[in-house]
Amino acid sequence: MRTFAYARPARVEDAAAALSQPAARAMGGGTDLITQQHRGILAAESVVDLRGLGLDAIAAEGEGVRIGATVTLADLGRDEAVRERFAVLHQAASAAASPQLREMGTVAGNLCQQVRCWYFRHPDLTCWLRGGDTCYAQVGDHRKHGLEPGDCISVAPSDLAAALLALDATVDTSSRPQGIPLADLYRKASDENRSTLALAPGEFVTAVVVPRAPDASAYERAGERHAWSFALAGVAAARFGDQLRLAAIGVSNLPRLLDPADPLAGLPGLEQTAWKRRLLSGLAGQALARVSG
Amino acid sequence: MARLIKTEAVVEGRTEVRWTLVEEDSTPEWPADQPPGVVGEPTTRLTAGARLSGSARYTSDMQLPRQLEATVLRSPHANARLTSISLDAARAVPGVRAVIGPGDCPQFDGEAVLHDEPPYGGAAVAAIAAETREAADEAMAALDPQWEPLGFVVDLDQSLENQTFQDDPVEYERGDAETALAAAELTITSDYLAPAQLHNSMEPHCAVADWRPDGLTLWSSTQGIYQARSQLCGSFGLDQEHVRVICHFMGGGFGSKFGCGPEGVIAAELSRRAGRPVRLVLSRRDENLSTGYRTPARFSFTIGAGCDGRLQAVEASAVMGLGTGGWAYPVLEPVKSVYACEHQHLMTLPMRLNLGPAAAFRAPGVMEGTWAFEQALDELAEAAGLDPLELRRRNHTDVDPSTGRPYTSKRLLESYDLAAELAGWDARDELRSDGRVRRGMGCASQYWWGGGGPPAYADVRIGSDAKPVLTVGMQDLGTGVTTACAVVLAERLGIRPDQVTVRTGDTDLAGHGPFSGGSMTLASVAPAVRSAGHHVRTQLLELAADMFEIAASDLELTEGEVRSTDGTLRRPIHDVTEKLGNAWVTGSGSRAPNPDGMAVNTFGCQIAQVAVDTLTGLITVERVVAVHDIGRVVNPMGARSQVLGGILQGIGFALSEERVVDPTTGTVVNAGLEDYKIPTLADLPEVECRFVGEPDPELALGIKGLGEPPIIPTPGAIGNAVAHALGLRLREAPYTPRRVLEALQ
Repeated sequence: MRTFAYARPARVEDAAAALSQPAARAMGGGTDLITQQHRGILAAESVVDLRGLGLDAIAAEGEGVRIGATVTLADLGRDEAVRERFAVLHQAASAAASPQLREMGTVAGNLCQQVRCWYFRHPDLTCWLRGGDTCYAQVGDHRKHGLEPGDCISVAPSDLAAALLALDATVDTSSRPQGIPLADLYRKASDENRSTLALAPGEFVTAVVVPRAPDASAYERAGERHAWSFALAGVAAARFGDQLRLAAIGVSNLPRLLDPADPLAGLPGLEQTAWKRRLLSGLAGQALARVSG
Repeated sequence: MARLIKTEAVVEGRTEVRWTLVEEDSTPEWPADQPPGVVGEPTTRLTAGARLSGSARYTSDMQLPRQLEATVLRSPHANARLTSISLDAARAVPGVRAVIGPGDCPQFDGEAVLHDEPPYGGAAVAAIAAETREAADEAMAALDPQWEPLGFVVDLDQSLENQTFQDDPVEYERGDAETALAAAELTITSDYLAPAQLHNSMEPHCAVADWRPDGLTLWSSTQGIYQARSQLCGSFGLDQEHVRVICHFMGGGFGSKFGCGPEGVIAAELSRRAGRPVRLVLSRRDENLSTGYRTPARFSFTIGAGCDGRLQAVEASAVMGLGTGGWAYPVLEPVKSVYACEHQHLMTLPMRLNLGPAAAFRAPGVMEGTWAFEQALDELAEAAGLDPLELRRRNHTDVDPSTGRPYTSKRLLESYDLAAELAGWDARDELRSDGRVRRGMGCASQYWWGGGGPPAYADVRIGSDAKPVLTVGMQDLGTGVTTACAVVLAERLGIRPDQVTVRTGDTDLAGHGPFSGGSMTLASVAPAVRSAGHHVRTQLLELAADMFEIAASDLELTEGEVRSTDGTLRRPIHDVTEKLGNAWVTGSGSRAPNPDGMAVNTFGCQIAQVAVDTLTGLITVERVVAVHDIGRVVNPMGARSQVLGGILQGIGFALSEERVVDPTTGTVVNAGLEDYKIPTLADLPEVECRFVGEPDPELALGIKGLGEPPIIPTPGAIGNAVAHALGLRLREAPYTPRRVLEALQ
């Protein structure tokens, strides 16, 4: 059990200030943060709960939709307009985690969660991504890891990220309220900076904006049981006119745009993950079939 | 009059001979042609309300005045030597009341509890009791342990190569397998690899100890309060009279909680030193590292048979990963005992690994052995061109093939027939297709013990309110045995089960009885309960005879009334008992032994229908038909619940549960419930559950146990169904999407 300070500010600037402190971390539903806290992973000394900021609305915006950072996955999954116009988002939100976790987990929290790699999450190991020297997965058991070699072979876990990437969504942050492309929320961890999020100290996601509705969209994923399983791989497809956007999670470090004509490009597979190529290829084919006009 | 007799009982494959105290019993048997009232009627669990509302108090809920919280330091290394530890620094942390390290704690069942050379990741090294959990954690950080990592082995094949055994290898031979195999018309060889399945009881291992000058009280989440008491007496040199063990409600154990556990000894030692009550509750991770698992096993079979599919010879070996504890669970029992087969040579090799100790897990050995052998039999059926059920029928045996003893009862052939009919077995090939989703159907036989036996004792008392209190020497693991006991008593007293108060789970109560394991609890205690109830019934009828001036032989107790057989008298039982004032009518009963020279077993057959998604690799178990022969069914609702739970746990083994050990560090990487995937309710198939057995004519009350049987055939039936669906066989469980997609590659 670790003690930490807890704040629930009511204004964005107060939250940003609180998050600028060293070892401060943002919290949405806490479903990821608290488990990390228990295991001593990137342990926070202060936790800033963003749910007092009033960022919990889903609202039409232009031809698209704006989704507040602290909207829960359950509320997103229940939203009728989202279900009708952004099917891929509805499907991704409804497939993630379990009903109980979806009632707690938030949109921004889902996008910003840490990788689920069982070495990264191990209480007794400090892997490369956590600041150590070794990617234990590469020499150990990486049966569920990525298809792409690298310093870290863990995979992006967020179902929503795949859906939003396919929808060409942008993300508003506390310091960049004009929005950035979703892909720019993420970065490859480097030796100097092991974070997979491209957020400055104190900066946090305030909303996700989908600029326009696709003509068709769909999410396909594979899990290890019928509920409460992170995706082994997830593929989101959206069609805008005759333009296809295909995005995947579960196959590389970051949510990844795929080439609809060659979804496996750049994803050779690792010693224990060749099976995922078959999976990715199947899911991509299925998702594309569902959006074809 | 009580007498001491010598009896033999088979417990999870091990024969135990013991002396037991038995009362003479004059209770009449239930007539075969007359259903005994409430027995056999669906009855809601008596504790359902308490469990659902949260008022049921489990060991982990205990909160005694001045109770301290304990934590345990565990080794992060697969094998290491502790070179230094700062116990005094931890003692100096404010709020800390006791700190113990290696050498400070009594042994548990002759084994070290706190290790200076912890032989696996998660082995306990030191323990702390403090006013708060936060203080305990701070003290934990102050311990500053220094380790010298040592070499380790976590790979089964490596351990076999090194010949490091954790228990003695077991060799079994009958006939001449080598010669018979050479002469067999058909021979098949096949290998299977079973995973380590973790128990993951909802309630972790936990204990609350209260050491006082006049004795020790331990609240324990345990399947055996009497073993717990003996172990504590052994560890601390105490007399039985000075140790009390209590377990009122339990959130599961599945074989991992026999006795008080190391956690009980640690809590008691900390309480002794601190002079305060101490609670120790394991975290999910510590639970999954240190409290046991179903042993992983590599099976190899060579089977010889005639062209007609009749088994002639089997050579088999099983290499089991016991870790640092446990015993050679009967993994090859399904080869030895289920079918007629004259020639056998079986080897079981229990290997030592730098992993936590193995423990019994619901049908230990037999479930995973059934999973493997029942699939090998399907391979034989295919080689012989036979329907898999027909192959099993042809190898049916009317006597125990290893001892030649007759069975007290056996309805296995009926189980096959009924299961086949309910499942639509004959049309199973119509399920198959070449599409994305491929369906198949498979079967497996079930064999287990479960006849129960002595010792088991019960006491009943009834006072003026006519609501009896039943005291049984046992604990309710969560199976519903408490409710079943109430049903058995209610029948004797002519009342409803919910009018019975059942007291269990306390060594200070009268009586003594079995641990909750081996599917033997109800079959053991129910006859004692009925006998105790019969004594009370006899006395109540005599009292009524005096009151109403009708001969006791002309009176009966039914539907809450005393009635005369001629129908002229109908009065509430309360009219009789209210004359008792503050006095009680009491009765005691005990369990008589089972017949000598006979095999007591349960049997059954399950048929599973699966759908394999060849795109995602995910397998859905769509339907399971479960037909079991368990003798008399006391509470069909409770029995069905057992079957559902067993099947779901079997689905976990087959499809998703598997401890994963990192080969380079020797650490378990999926000790939490996010990565270690037990099935959820979304994975539960439609279940058609039937019981074919008549009351067993040779057993008291005709009852056989059901705790283990339902899990035994499920994984094998699923394995055979997957092979039927795909036309290829997966040799390693669980059948995860990865393994399915790799097999399809």
